[in-house]
Amino acid sequence: MEFGFTEENEKLRKEVHDFFINELPEDYDSQSGARSDRKQEDFQAELVKKAAQKGYTSAGWPKKYGGLGFTPIEQGIVSEQMSYWGVAWPGALGFSLVAPVILTAGTDAQKEKFVPPIARGEAICFECFTEPNAGSDEASVQMRAVENGDSYILNGQKTFISGGQKPDWLYTLARTTDTIPPHRGLSIFMVPGDAEGVSYRPLPTMGGSRQNEIFYDNVRVPKENLIGEKDRGFYLAMTTFEFERSAVSPDARLGMQRLVEFCRTEKKNGKPLIEDPDVRTMLARMAMHQQVMWLAGWYAAWRRTAREKYGPQPYNLTMFMRKQWAPESANMLMNTFGMYGQLEPESRYARYNGSVGMRWESSRMIHAAGTPEILQVVIANRGLGLPRVPRKFNAMINEALSEE
Amino acid sequence: MDFSLTEEQEMLKTAARDLLEKECTETVVRETIGRAEGYSPETWRQIADLGWMGLIFPEEYGGIGGSMIDLAVLYEEIGRAMYVSPHLSTVVLCGNTILNAGAREQKDALLPQIVNGEVIMALALTEPESAWDGKAWTPEGVIVKATPDGDDYVINGIKLFVHDAHVADQMLVAARTKEGTGEDGISLFLVDARSPGITCNLLKTMSGNHKQCEVVFDKVKVPAKNIVGELHKGWAPLSKSIQLGAVMLCAEMVGAGQKVLEMTTDYAKTRIQFEMPIGIHQHVQAHCVQMVADIDSSRWVTYLAAWKLAEGMDADLDVAVAKAWTSEANESACWRSHQVFAGVGSTEALGVLPLYTRFGNLDQFYLGDPEHYLKVVAREIENVPTPEKPRGKPLGLWDASQAGLPSWDIWREYYEKAG
Repeated sequence: MEFGFTEENEKLRKEVHDFFINELPEDYDSQSGARSDRKQEDFQAELVKKAAQKGYTSAGWPKKYGGLGFTPIEQGIVSEQMSYWGVAWPGALGFSLVAPVILTAGTDAQKEKFVPPIARGEAICFECFTEPNAGSDEASVQMRAVENGDSYILNGQKTFISGGQKPDWLYTLARTTDTIPPHRGLSIFMVPGDAEGVSYRPLPTMGGSRQNEIFYDNVRVPKENLIGEKDRGFYLAMTTFEFERSAVSPDARLGMQRLVEFCRTEKKNGKPLIEDPDVRTMLARMAMHQQVMWLAGWYAAWRRTAREKYGPQPYNLTMFMRKQWAPESANMLMNTFGMYGQLEPESRYARYNGSVGMRWESSRMIHAAGTPEILQVVIANRGLGLPRVPRKFNAMINEALSEE
Repeated sequence: MDFSLTEEQEMLKTAARDLLEKECTETVVRETIGRAEGYSPETWRQIADLGWMGLIFPEEYGGIGGSMIDLAVLYEEIGRAMYVSPHLSTVVLCGNTILNAGAREQKDALLPQIVNGEVIMALALTEPESAWDGKAWTPEGVIVKATPDGDDYVINGIKLFVHDAHVADQMLVAARTKEGTGEDGISLFLVDARSPGITCNLLKTMSGNHKQCEVVFDKVKVPAKNIVGELHKGWAPLSKSIQLGAVMLCAEMVGAGQKVLEMTTDYAKTRIQFEMPIGIHQHVQAHCVQMVADIDSSRWVTYLAAWKLAEGMDADLDVAVAKAWTSEANESACWRSHQVFAGVGSTEALGVLPLYTRFGNLDQFYLGDPEHYLKVVAREIENVPTPEKPRGKPLGLWDASQAGLPSWDIWREYYEKAG
C-alpha cells in the first residue's frame, strides 16, 4: 500500500499544473454558464492544440503513434490536473475513444489518416451511437449501412449526440447485417462531418449542454472508412466504453477550495456561511466524497498497471460512484442557496457566478455514457456474477406481457 | 500509488485467516460473547504466540517492528472472522500510548508483557456526561479529576463504556490534574485494575462483541510515577492512539463488510423464489452493487489513513474521513444484506448476519462516530488556502454582455432565434 508518487510523477504533475496555471485565463471556470460563449470555445480550441503539442492529449498512446507512451499512473496525473482545473477538451472523444480504438483495430492507412489530426487537436469527433430506439440497448441500432461498390450507403438517424462544435468526423455505429442476437451485425464507420446527406438539428439540453440529432440520408462512405471487421463493431464499441469509463481521475480540490473560500466570505444571518453548522456538515461531506472519488480514480489507474498480475478489473466503480454523488452534492449546494440557486450567470443578484443552478441542472443528466442503472447491471452481472435473463427470451416475455 | 499488499502482508493475511477460520467459527463467537470475560484466554495465548500483540512494537520489546498497514491487514481478518478480544484495548489504545509517551521503566515493565500476552489493559477515557453530550472523544469530555495527595494522586469519578475493564490487569486512565476544560490539564495514569476503590460493572449491550463496563473510581490512589508522559500533557499521545484505534476499527469494518458482501451475493445466487434465484432482480442487484461500492471505497480510505499514520504524516483529515465514511458504509452494507436475506438474516439461529450488524454498530460509535469526525473534517478544511488563480488574461467569461455566439451555424442560428 502506497499512496505517494515518485519524484518523476511529481515533476510531471508540476509540469502539467504549470502549463494550465499559465495558459488558463484568470477568470476560467468550468462551471461558467458559457453555453453560447464563443470566447470560451475559441479559447479551448486553441488551448487543446497547445496541449496536444505537449502530448497531454495523447499521453497514453504508444510512442510509435505519436503518443507519450505514458503509464496508467502518468495518464492519471494528466487527467487529475485536468479535473483539478475543470478543463474539458472540445472533441475529447477523439483522444479518449476514437483514436485509441483506431490504433487498436484500424489498418495502417487508417491510423495514418485519422489519428494525427485528432492528436493535434485539429479534428473534432462525435460519438454517434445512440438512436431514438437504441439508447441503453446499443445493440438494437437500426441505422443501415448497405454495401454498394467501393462504399457503404448509410441511412438513419442518431440522437442525443453531444457536441457544440462542428464535427470533422462522425464515429458511427450502423447495422451491416441483420442478426439474432442483434449485436452481431454492427459496424463502425468514420463518416466525414460534412458528407453529403448528413444534416444536423440542435437539441438544447439541460445545464446548457449542446446535443444534436444527426440525419444520414443516403450518405456514401468509402469502404476504407470501416474500422475493424465488418459486423464486429459492437465489440469495438464495448472497448470504446471501457476507455470512457476508466479514463477519469477526479480531483475536485480546487473546486472545493473555491467553495470554502466563498463560504468564508459570504454571510448568512450576519455570520459567515462557514460558521453555519449545516454548511459545515455539507462541506465536510463534500470533502469526504471528494477524497473517496480521488481514490476511486487512482485505484482504477493502478489496477490497469496490475492487469498482468490480477487479470482485467472485474468491475470499475469510478463512474458509478461519480453519478451517484453528482446529484447529491449539487442538491446540497442548491439547498444552501435556496431561491438564489435558480439565478443564472447573467442575472442580477446571482451569487457564486450563478453556477449553482447549472451544476444542479447538469446533475439531472447522469444517464450519458452509461446510465447508473446499466452500470449497476454490468457490475452485478460481470463483476459479481449475479444472474440475468438471456436476451433470447425477451421477445417471448414481451409477448406474454401483452397477452396478460 | 499502489493498492497491493506486500508478500509479507499477504502471508500475514493468509495465516490470520487460516487460524481464525478454524478457531473463530460462529459457534465460538456466540459462545465467547456469551461468557462474562468476553474473550477466550486459549485463543489469546495462540495469537500472542503468533506475534499479533507485538506486530507494531520494536524488536527490543519482543515485537517485530511492523507497520500500521500490517496491523490494518490483521484487523481486516479480525473483522472478517468477528474475532473478539482485548487486543485493541491492550495493544493499540494502551500499548501504543506507553510506547510513544511512557517512561523507560514503564515501557520495560509493560511492553514485553503486552507482547507476550501476559497483561490485558483497558483505556478508561469516556464518561457518562461526555458520551451523552457528544464529547466523548474530545478533551472537553474529560471531567473526572485526579487530585494530588503527597506522592500520589486520588482519582474520583465514573468512566463509562470502558472496553475490557473487567478483565484488565492494568488500566490507562485519563483524568484532569489541572483546572480547565481543554487539552492542557489531562494526564494519563497507569492504574492497577485491582486497586482498592475500583468497581467494574458490566453493561448490558446488544453487541456484546466487546465487553463494556462502568468503572467507578472511589478515592483510588495512584502513585505520581504512574503518570504516562508529561503531567497535564496526556491528551496529545492519547489522541494518536485513538486515531490508530479508529483506523483499526475501520479495517475491522472493511473485513466484516467484505464477508457480509460475499455471504449476500452467494445467497442471491442460490436462494430460489418464483422459480429463479433472487439475484436476478435488479433491486437485489442494486443492494449488492451498493455494498461493493461501500466496502471497496471503505478499504481505500482506511488504507490511505493507515499509510499516512505509518509514514508519520499529518493524518487528522484522513483518519476522520476514513472513520466517518467506513462507519456509514458498514452500517449501510449490513442493512442491505438484511434486505436480501430477509427472514433468514434476522433469525439468530439461522446465521451470523445479526452478529455482523451489531458488531458494526459498536465499531461505528467507538473511538468517534460520523458526527464527531465530520466536525473534524470541517475544521480541517475551513482553513484550506485561498484557491490558486490561473495567470492568463481574463476572457470576460462572466460578463454576459460580452458573450459571443458559437461558430457552428446550426447553434448560432438557434441562439440568435432564442434571444
